[in-house]
Amino acid sequence: MQPSRPEADADAQHRELSRLAALLRYEILDSAEDAAFDDFTQLASRLCDTPIALISLVDQRRQWFKSRVGLEVSETPRDISFCSHAIRDDAIFEVEDALADPRFRDNPLVLGEPHIRFYASTPLRTPDGYNLGTLCVIDRKPRRLSAEQRDTLARLGRQVMRLFEERLLTRRHAEQAALQQAILSSAATAVITTDVEGRLRSLNPTAERLLGHGSASVAGRPVCELLFDPATLARRAHMLTEEFGQPVQPGFEVLTLPLERGLPEMAQWRLRQRNGNEVPVLLHVMAVRDENERLHGYLLSAFDLADQEQLQLRLQQIAAQVPGMLYQFHWRPRGGGRFPYISEGVQDIYGLSPAQIGHDMRSVYKRVHPQDLPEVQRSLRHAARLLAPWQAEYRVNHPQRGLRWVEARATPLPQADGSVLWNGLITDITERKAEQLELEKQQEMNRRLLEALSEAVIACDAAGNLTVFNEKAKQWHGGDIAPMPPSEWARHYHLYLADGVTPMPAEQVPLRRALAGEHVGDLEMAILCDGTPRHVICNANPLHGSDGQPMGAVTVLYDITERKRIEQLQREFISTVSHELRTPLTSINGALTLICANVIGQVPEALRELLDIAQQNSQRLSALIDDLLDMDKLHAGKMRFDMRRQPLLPLLEQALRANGSYAERCAVQFRLLHCDPAWVEVDGMRLQQVLSNLLSNAAKFSPAGACVEIRAARQADGVRVSVEDHGPGIAENFRERVFQKFAQADSSDSRRQGGTGLGLAISKELVERMGGRIGFHSTPGEGACFWFELPLAEAPVAGGSDR
Amino acid sequence: MSELRRILHIEDDPSIQSVTKLALEAVGGFEVLSCSSGAEALREAPGFAPDFVLLDVMMPGMDGPETLARLRECLDLERIPVAFMTAKVQSSEIEHLRKLGARDVIIKPFDPMRLADQIRSIWNADRY
Repeated sequence: MQPSRPEADADAQHRELSRLAALLRYEILDSAEDAAFDDFTQLASRLCDTPIALISLVDQRRQWFKSRVGLEVSETPRDISFCSHAIRDDAIFEVEDALADPRFRDNPLVLGEPHIRFYASTPLRTPDGYNLGTLCVIDRKPRRLSAEQRDTLARLGRQVMRLFEERLLTRRHAEQAALQQAILSSAATAVITTDVEGRLRSLNPTAERLLGHGSASVAGRPVCELLFDPATLARRAHMLTEEFGQPVQPGFEVLTLPLERGLPEMAQWRLRQRNGNEVPVLLHVMAVRDENERLHGYLLSAFDLADQEQLQLRLQQIAAQVPGMLYQFHWRPRGGGRFPYISEGVQDIYGLSPAQIGHDMRSVYKRVHPQDLPEVQRSLRHAARLLAPWQAEYRVNHPQRGLRWVEARATPLPQADGSVLWNGLITDITERKAEQLELEKQQEMNRRLLEALSEAVIACDAAGNLTVFNEKAKQWHGGDIAPMPPSEWARHYHLYLADGVTPMPAEQVPLRRALAGEHVGDLEMAILCDGTPRHVICNANPLHGSDGQPMGAVTVLYDITERKRIEQLQREFISTVSHELRTPLTSINGALTLICANVIGQVPEALRELLDIAQQNSQRLSALIDDLLDMDKLHAGKMRFDMRRQPLLPLLEQALRANGSYAERCAVQFRLLHCDPAWVEVDGMRLQQVLSNLLSNAAKFSPAGACVEIRAARQADGVRVSVEDHGPGIAENFRERVFQKFAQADSSDSRRQGGTGLGLAISKELVERMGGRIGFHSTPGEGACFWFELPLAEAPVAGGSDR
Repeated sequence: MSELRRILHIEDDPSIQSVTKLALEAVGGFEVLSCSSGAEALREAPGFAPDFVLLDVMMPGMDGPETLARLRECLDLERIPVAFMTAKVQSSEIEHLRKLGARDVIIKPFDPMRLADQIRSIWNADRY
């Protein structure tokens, strides 16, 4: 024996481990007896003419006999085995006489049973070069094999090895088959296999259950004839013919042709069951090919969609509640698309049934208004390219409902195979569109209206951004909307106070005040854009949405420049006219008065009446001019009040004295019935004017011999002076106009009663300017009571010389 | 002088002039010299030696205020009260006239029967 080198030992050890692994891989150790192997040991024994022949496999600790002739034991320890020597060699291993061989002469198998003297073996070598064991022949006497016998032994050994290989393969096949069978049997998917021509080979149990056919009973039948609806096949064939540009027969080709074109064939079908019913399935067709790519047949897996159809039915019910149509559109990169799902609403939108649409977009496109179609298609392509949501509004020519506006929306769902599934909704928006158009029309109308207005209209939103600025606003402000905070408005838009010279403080701008929630009414202001002030009356109000939320504010400006100019002219006119009237009136009045007073001699009785008429009317004219001037002064704000604190009673007494002669003429008596001590702060002369007016009115309207009662009564925070007559009272329909200018109960009255119609209007103004208020109450037929109230003034400290 | 007798009246409107003259003479019993313009009044005033001057405000040429100023040069207006007569009745105007040195302002149209009394009360008020 060669001294062993460590490297060689390690190598040998590694190789032995690999060899043992190979042995285990064949799964033959301790396997059951197999007659096929016994044939080889019998043959070997006879050909070599030995009493013993073995198929021996050497594992870690023993040699185990897969087959044996002439030996009782099934295994012996490895350390005494001849085979463990033999497997180190790739050739025939022969020991002619064991007793003469130093390796074996002490071997218990030589010295004892079975008394081996001769041993020859051929290794059982795997294709990858491991010797698993041997085919060996043994004799109890020394001898040697002929060359022929050695050759035969080697051939037999190789055959044994082939048998090992075959057994392993068979085993593997059986396992695979069992696994496949188990998979197919338990698969939820129905699997149908066919041959190349589409004849049925098998149905898995699920397929049997689904279709009601036994696998054996239908084997060999053409699958299309058995399971598919001819009309559907024909339709699909027609579609594929168009898609591929070659004639496609309505048979098995329909299922297989897409595969040949490299397209995965997966589609919904309805398969006919044995009882004649149809079941919806998702059918996936696969070609079955061997390792040489040769076509062996097809495998059709059908996924039962009945449940899904139930779901779809529910979806349809839901979809029926949804206004418009729900749909799924499956688009494939090779062009062509179809609708896996369309709700019944398609009838409302397009006037087509889901069946009429089928898989063809053209029927849909035909309904779209020709003017809108290009844009619809463009937007679709665009959305498809970007995989972006699609949205479009277009018109549809509905065969029953006429031209409708619809809105379409769809969301893309990219699929693993590169196709895109669009989930979409199309709704009829004709009414909304009509409303929208109506709204647009209304907005346009509003816009035109705003432009046509003679007022300036300006509005802003809640954030203070100007939103409306009509033509007049632009004209008057000398500009348009410009982005700026509300604090800039006054300066930018040349806003001034009513005097036309004082710039308006920023916080007083009416629109700004309205934005803060204030209602600004009839505010006079000015816009000074080009040197001359434009006087305007301004109203501004906050805007609220229908929900009550602040939406901003709006202001409307009326130009009163012209009105103010006219008013000014009018005032000047009145002032001039009244002055110019006074001068001749002074002469006329004076002359008449002197004549009537007999200053220039006794007036003849014949002239008296006419002269009296002339005098009375000239006095009336004079009073009218006085009233006009007063009114004008009050309006122009030019009347000055010399307010002094004084006791009320002397003022009343003075008024009664001053009007006493008038009362006498009317045959009426003034009676001061009551006067609470009170001090007031008034312009004495103006209060006299008011009292004169009330007293003379009362006297004028009293019947002869009647009394006019005057009272002054203190109230909580003032004093009320009332003048009550027993005349006809104030007619119901005149009450509202009593204090209006030139108001008189009847146009004939003024002539009869000799008033100007300005007295009460002036009195009202005077009383109000002095901080009081005026009013009346009256019972028609019983009289009228006119009153005014003045705030009380503090009396001076008691003990003063005044009363 | 403790008696009011002679009144100088300056008024451009002849109608008013006549009515006023009549009212003061016939009703009041005064001696009245009527002038139609400020210039005429300046000429006549020193010779007439009035106790009271009644002066119209609005006159062509020399108006009332100017006439008043010029009269000071020939009359002792500290002693002789002057009253304006005007159809302008605004208080600001009346105030203005008072400031010019008039004792009072008589508003047109006036009551001719009361005119003499009005003048007398102005004259009396001035005495005390």
